[in-house]
Amino acid sequence: MYQKSIFSYLSIVADSEIWVSISVDLEMGSSEEKVVAVIMVGGPTKGTRFRPLSLNIPKPLFPLAGQPMVHHPISACKRIPNLAQIYLVGFYEEREFALYVSSISNELKIPVRYMREDKPHGSAGGLYNFRDLIMEDSPSHIFLLNCDVCCSFPLSEMLEAHKKYGGMGTILVIKVSAESASQFGELVADPETKELLHYTEKPETFVSDLINCGVYIFTPEIFTAIQDVSSQRKDRANLRRVSSFEALQSATRSLPTDFVRLDQDILSPLAGKKQLYTYETMDFWEQIKTPGMSLKCSGLYLAQFRFTSPDLLASGDGTKNATFTGDVYVHPSAKVHPTAKIGPNVSISANARIGAGVRLISCIILDGVEIMENAVVTNAIVGWKSSIGRWSRVQAISLHKKGYFTFMSQVAVGDYNAKLGVTILGESVGVEDEVVVTNSIVLPNKTLNVSVQEEIIL
Amino acid sequence: MKALILVGGFGTRLRPLTLSVPKPLVEFANKPMILHQIEALKAVGVNEVVLAINYQPEVMLNFLKDFETNLGIKITCSQETEPLGTAGPLALARDKLIDDSGEPFFVLNSDVISEYPFEQMIKFHKAHGGEASIMVTKVDEPSKYGVVVTEESTGKVEKFVEKPKLFVGNKINAGIYLLNPAVLDRIELRPTSIEKEVFPKIAAEGKLFAMVLPGFWMDIGQPRDYITGLRLYLDSLRKKSSSKLAIGPHVVGNVLVHESAQIGEGCLIGPDVAIGPGCVVESGVRLSHCTVMRGVRIKKHACISSSIIGWHSTVGQWARVENMTILGEDVHVCDEIYSNGGVVLPHKEIKSSILKPEIVM
Repeated sequence: MYQKSIFSYLSIVADSEIWVSISVDLEMGSSEEKVVAVIMVGGPTKGTRFRPLSLNIPKPLFPLAGQPMVHHPISACKRIPNLAQIYLVGFYEEREFALYVSSISNELKIPVRYMREDKPHGSAGGLYNFRDLIMEDSPSHIFLLNCDVCCSFPLSEMLEAHKKYGGMGTILVIKVSAESASQFGELVADPETKELLHYTEKPETFVSDLINCGVYIFTPEIFTAIQDVSSQRKDRANLRRVSSFEALQSATRSLPTDFVRLDQDILSPLAGKKQLYTYETMDFWEQIKTPGMSLKCSGLYLAQFRFTSPDLLASGDGTKNATFTGDVYVHPSAKVHPTAKIGPNVSISANARIGAGVRLISCIILDGVEIMENAVVTNAIVGWKSSIGRWSRVQAISLHKKGYFTFMSQVAVGDYNAKLGVTILGESVGVEDEVVVTNSIVLPNKTLNVSVQEEIIL
Repeated sequence: MKALILVGGFGTRLRPLTLSVPKPLVEFANKPMILHQIEALKAVGVNEVVLAINYQPEVMLNFLKDFETNLGIKITCSQETEPLGTAGPLALARDKLIDDSGEPFFVLNSDVISEYPFEQMIKFHKAHGGEASIMVTKVDEPSKYGVVVTEESTGKVEKFVEKPKLFVGNKINAGIYLLNPAVLDRIELRPTSIEKEVFPKIAAEGKLFAMVLPGFWMDIGQPRDYITGLRLYLDSLRKKSSSKLAIGPHVVGNVLVHESAQIGEGCLIGPDVAIGPGCVVESGVRLSHCTVMRGVRIKKHACISSSIIGWHSTVGQWARVENMTILGEDVHVCDEIYSNGGVVLPHKEIKSSILKPEIVM
């Protein structure tokens, strides 16, 4: 920002001598190269697996460890030297992000802008769509992050590695178990040079236990690469008018020319061409597709706070404050009774009230929730303004016991959440005194006056 | 007068409680089940009680020794070496039951809890002049039981219908009898049933009369009925001697708390709860529809409903115990555990939650 303002000032008043000296200055200090970050946030038609929580809030703004999901990659970006801008790209309406974007810009003293796509363009297409804005500051490097991954975002380390490799792009990768690898983009990297040799998205057979973390760094040449794919498509589309046989053969026939996927369309074809490299993280990494995963990821971020911002973690031993055990976040406006016991892995959002003798274990308590005396909440997400009665219990019991798997096969919609052992209450749900809610999902504005187990309450 | 209480065998239906003590000694409303009967019998002038038993008679007699002197009543055992059914034990105890007085004697099924209106039964027996009187009680679903069909005005028993498919009446045998010594002459010393073999013969001669039991009746031989029985018993206690029930801001409905039990702050107890001697209920605890036996500790913020907590067990902080959970003697439920219908054998520690009713060996 600082450099930019000097530039514009100079362009009006400067004579050529000063101009030259300044620009030499910029070229010499390679550490002064500008970097921008683009975070793909998706849109309302995505993230349906995040219901019922995404019925109320764009998934990227759902709080993990007390901060909106997208806040975690943003604050990681903040730590990159010479970061000029952060762009959020998605197809949610502007107003949904307006408040957050302005407050985070002020807080971090970094301009954060939300750029709305008129429709999904794929992650590469979305990036390309806004290339003029992204290149406005003539950045030397562009970070591209998916919002729905949870990791420590070792971005500065990636940048160092990327410069050393000298390619067009570097992908953050992680080693996972062979069984789980197939849910992600699997890739093969040269063990010595770290060059990306092969890339395949969600393969049916095992290719590699290295997977794509959805965090990338590119040089501006990436735009040329995306443009190439796009124009090839256009050519093919033109050809299609000539040969309908070709059109039927083409696997990409239904894709519009401006829809460019990063994985299949860019990473796969460029693998093995000394343009893409990998940087392996040894830290945690998860994909946040479901509410159940969000609880796990909230815990991972809370654990990370121990190192990055310990002041955010609550402490107390039950004398003046409540008893806190493990990693707990409590919003300053929330009230927790001194006889309550909280943690591990609990985050309590704004204006929540936690009554006397309440026990919270592994849960996310959203804004304005009231939990009354002696209630127990464990392995659950309690939606905005919900109310939990005295001696009631909201819980999930992750089970390998008999009877449980029958339930999972019956409830197709909820099985993913159930598998992860999380009970979810939507917004303004009431749980009356002494009621037990076990392994269930309750949609907004319902009141439960009898106990439920393994149910989805519509 | 004399009385015979049919105690019978192992009390398997009330396991795991009966793994620790014989069924008649399991407390019901803070008093061993059999004492409810013995005290009621003593009140109408019974001076000798014979327990027909085929399991652990020593344990029973040792336990009852103190009560013999306290109540001034003679308690003896008649031990079967093989199961004799419901009538055989009468023949076995014949010598103990017959004396020179020629007075009728009571026979009680030990699983049955009621207001024991023995005084009225004696009057009824004398008034009809027959050989035997039985108590009957009205039930909602008579087809589960043996129905007693009587002549409405006199109470004379016409017939017995075992588990009727079509409605023949709603009065069933309540397991409380008053019999003349002559009935003993009808019973052979062999495994035989009083309901199926003896009574039908007496009824055929027009000498069997049935009296409708006033007040409540419950067979508390299994946990669910035990918990229901406590509700009925406490309702009845409320009407008869409500001073025995607990009062206070932390009490809802009918609650029995032993004088030596301690209740912490911010608890909510009731309805239909019995808390035994020496129990410690810490602060913020919720108890409803449950029995807490002697020496139990319920830790802070725990919540228990529709359950029985066996002797000297502990329930941890923020634990939730419900839906016919039965903890045997000396069971320890760890902090924050959930038990939905867990049936736990004695001396176990419960470290992981029980989601669905199951037995923990």
